[in-house]
Amino acid sequence: MTYKVTEEGDTSTVFLDGEIDMDKTEGAKEIIFPLIDAGKNVNLNLSNVQYMDSSGISVLIESHQKALEKGTKLVIKDVSKSVLKVIMMAKLEQILNLE
Amino acid sequence: MSETAHQDHTEKKAFLVNSSSLKDVRIFCREVFEKIHIQEDLKDELVLAIAEAAQNIVKHAFKNAASPNELMVVQISCENNKLQIAFYDRGTPVDPKKVKHREIDNVKPGGLGTFFIQEIMDAVEFKDGNKPWINHLVLTKQL
Repeated sequence: MTYKVTEEGDTSTVFLDGEIDMDKTEGAKEIIFPLIDAGKNVNLNLSNVQYMDSSGISVLIESHQKALEKGTKLVIKDVSKSVLKVIMMAKLEQILNLE
Repeated sequence: MSETAHQDHTEKKAFLVNSSSLKDVRIFCREVFEKIHIQEDLKDELVLAIAEAAQNIVKHAFKNAASPNELMVVQISCENNKLQIAFYDRGTPVDPKKVKHREIDNVKPGGLGTFFIQEIMDAVEFKDGNKPWINHLVLTKQL
């Protein structure tokens, strides 16, 4: 998994790349959580993530809940068709902020 | 169920029991599903189900412990449009009664892998593992 982070005002945009599974979740958390802890709104761009399993979905849930606790917002953007299917299978499309 | 005829085929492969192997499990599945001629959307779902079952072996049967020499075997068989995926491992014996997913409306991290497997496959069955195996999981789906 590779990533890039861009900053604009109080919003950080995280671009993740590759396949997110159990082996990659700690890396993803290490990128996302400090931004939320710093009070940033986070846009998570998943356009280049072609595979995500239940571990990756857990990172989305954890990040979403952490943002709510901190009074910020996590928005998941440009989800690929294959990852959207997994989000919908988990019945999270109404819970997570998807754009 | 589709009306497409799928190629009868059986193939198995052993993987080291660790999270780094999950990518290799997915690659193996995709290669075998190509040979069986499974359509793209279904292939993605099946790969997810298999990867979740392999992840459960790493996470639960071996409790994420470093097991440098331990192997898990994945066998994919297709016969008369019936797909059967078997997993073999030598981890902690699984009690099928304790294998359950979280309530789907109780949104929290974790507990989704088994839910995905059950959503995608027609049947999930733990069988007795013959030596040298301890656990033998079989997933089936009519194609």
